[in-house]
Amino acid sequence: MIVAPMTFVRVGLLLILAVILQVSAVSQTSIFGGHADLVVLTVAAIAYYAGSVSGCAVGFAAGFLLDLASGATMGASSLVLTAIGYSVGRFRELRDPSHGLMPAPVGAAATAGWVLTFAAVSFMLDVGARVSPLVIRDMVVTVVLNTLIAIPWFVAIRRILRPSLSVDPVELGRRRQQPRSAGPIGLRGLEI
Amino acid sequence: MFDKKVVRRRRAALAVFVALSIAVLTAYFGESGGGFFHALQRGSQEAFAPVESGASRALKPVRDLFGWVGDTFDAKGDNEQLRAEVERLRSELARSQTAERDAAQLSGIVGLSRQDMYPRGTDPIAARVIARAPTVWYSSVKIDKGSGDGVKVDQPVIAAGGLVGRVTQVTGGTAEVRLITDASSAVTAQVMPEGASGVVRPQVGNPNDLLLDLIEGDRRVTEDTTVVTSGFTSTKVESLFPRGIPIGTVTKVDLDEFEQYQRVHIRPFANLRRFDIVQVLTRRPPNTQAAALPEGSAP
Repeated sequence: MIVAPMTFVRVGLLLILAVILQVSAVSQTSIFGGHADLVVLTVAAIAYYAGSVSGCAVGFAAGFLLDLASGATMGASSLVLTAIGYSVGRFRELRDPSHGLMPAPVGAAATAGWVLTFAAVSFMLDVGARVSPLVIRDMVVTVVLNTLIAIPWFVAIRRILRPSLSVDPVELGRRRQQPRSAGPIGLRGLEI
Repeated sequence: MFDKKVVRRRRAALAVFVALSIAVLTAYFGESGGGFFHALQRGSQEAFAPVESGASRALKPVRDLFGWVGDTFDAKGDNEQLRAEVERLRSELARSQTAERDAAQLSGIVGLSRQDMYPRGTDPIAARVIARAPTVWYSSVKIDKGSGDGVKVDQPVIAAGGLVGRVTQVTGGTAEVRLITDASSAVTAQVMPEGASGVVRPQVGNPNDLLLDLIEGDRRVTEDTTVVTSGFTSTKVESLFPRGIPIGTVTKVDLDEFEQYQRVHIRPFANLRRFDIVQVLTRRPPNTQAAALPEGSAP
């Protein structure tokens, strides 16, 4: 990612928008007992397009903002989202995926990592109450909803971040593909 | 193959942000309610409040649309359940009205002054929910009324006729309400009309099933009875909740393996997953008779 003042403004506004949308709308919309989580999707998308260093920085900032806005224990969300951002960024750097449907499994894996790790951190910080098995249903619903909205959400974030990206993995993948040969009448695949 | 400088930079970045997160976490746990991070949280909540309030109002139609879809699925089951409940409540109402008339006459006879009970005498303030914590591990909501409207820390909050929580943080124009489904919540309560007392605790992840613990085995609790706050008072401590706020209905009673205590399952009156409007009870009604708590239970 190109480090410039406009990059900070873009990423900062994206994170604030995601946190406000999450706490004031998405968290209040219960679908089959659960709800989507835009904050982890935003962190995963930025890490996917910008890499591991940007991913962990954005994860920390998003967690900090989320804890400030929701009144939860400060530092817990930052810790987990830092790890999520770094992991997604490393995945992109090592595998270099460019398939158009890749955001769906990446979003699902990031969300599953977030809900499971956050639950583990909450247990370590002493929950102090019984935990219902329905927690697992809520986690599954969140992962499914995030998988469904991952592709449009990643596309939207890529468009916003594009001017600040030093390397766009999607464009890179497109350029790497060999153009299929065209026939004399100019139609690809019809070599006649 | 790998640039050592890049690898070192990457690892250093991860280490710095993890260390920062742990430092913030430790500092937050270590400081008092007036510490730096708590103050920062209050300040940012106040700063974000107008934006959150606007976003909450603007996106209400979208929330309602998704809520309508879910409600349609639940409506059929709820309809049958509510019809049965209306029948039961009709007979209970008739009994209560008779009992109230009798009680008024009796208190007049012994010269007792009639005291206001919930919700009378509590000066409720209506507020709108503008934000909600995004995980099940912290159950809290933010409302659009604060100290400027007379809201103070520890005041009880109700919605749709039932207790939902208490105020834990206040700024000028907003307040944070910790719900009774939060892992740290404990409310002293009493089953009516049996009078058995216990402590209502949540089950994380299931807001429709609260637990009333620490009820002695010899005081049998029956299903379909009502649970209200007990408003425990003693010379040293006092419950944060006034006596008589409805919490929910008993749905199931379990005995522990030694049958010393009963564990009572409660379905809360308020829909704790979805509510938009709440009332903050800003005044404590005059104290009524204190409820007896079993030994070892916290008020």
